[in-house]
Amino acid sequence: MPNAPEILNPVIHHISQAQLAKYADASGDDNPLHLDEEFAATTPYGRTIAHGMLLLAFVSEAMTKAFGRTWLCEGKMKARFRAPVFPGDTVTTTGTLKSTTGTMAMYQIVVRNQDGVDVVTADTTAPIFSF
Amino acid sequence: MNLATLEPGQPLFNLKMVVTADKVRAYLVAVEDDDQIYGEEKLAPPMAVVALVMGMAIRAVNLPAGAVHTGQELEFVAPVRLGSELECGATVSHNSVRGGTRFLVLQITGAIDNQPAMLGRVSIAITGEKEK
Repeated sequence: MPNAPEILNPVIHHISQAQLAKYADASGDDNPLHLDEEFAATTPYGRTIAHGMLLLAFVSEAMTKAFGRTWLCEGKMKARFRAPVFPGDTVTTTGTLKSTTGTMAMYQIVVRNQDGVDVVTADTTAPIFSF
Repeated sequence: MNLATLEPGQPLFNLKMVVTADKVRAYLVAVEDDDQIYGEEKLAPPMAVVALVMGMAIRAVNLPAGAVHTGQELEFVAPVRLGSELECGATVSHNSVRGGTRFLVLQITGAIDNQPAMLGRVSIAITGEKEK
């Protein structure tokens, strides 16, 4: 396992309505806010929005690429949803090392859309090992 | 379920679910994660486990259309192997209405053989609610 990188490799995803349908099927979260254009048009968002948990999957993906099994087995995440993500958006997940202890690395993660808006911010913690 | 009657500490469900390779595969396709580590280690992505438990919680509470997640805290305590039987649970942690919006916080858990594998806390906002 490598030591904690200063910067995580960015993870980029283009969001589509088809992806939201797949996520709803896989997760069981079939809230019409994510799936039904007609219903979503009546909400303050005006159109369907991505599942928040889908965006957190991107955070976890970035951490998994950096820390592998240790993230899968002992990771921690505290996330805040800042703005909606719509089909057609492209979101980029980046991470910056905030601090380390002897055994843990703490990161500030940002999921940002193509307009530079932070849609999710998260603090994550992953175990690190010294050899 | 009437959201207004939910009390802090109230358990919502305790159910068992097998984390099958098919469920995990469908999840990985949906989130477009092609990392080989899951297949090599025969592990479920922790967020897949969270998603499956959250799906149960959403159905148990019967969240109204338009409910949105506002925050999430997660701790992955132990790996979840493909084929594991996961003991899933959710408990009400907070339930209040302010300014016409209901703020609901649920504690969610996933355990294997009575040992925790995932702990979580999810914050949900539901607009159009009346204060008591």
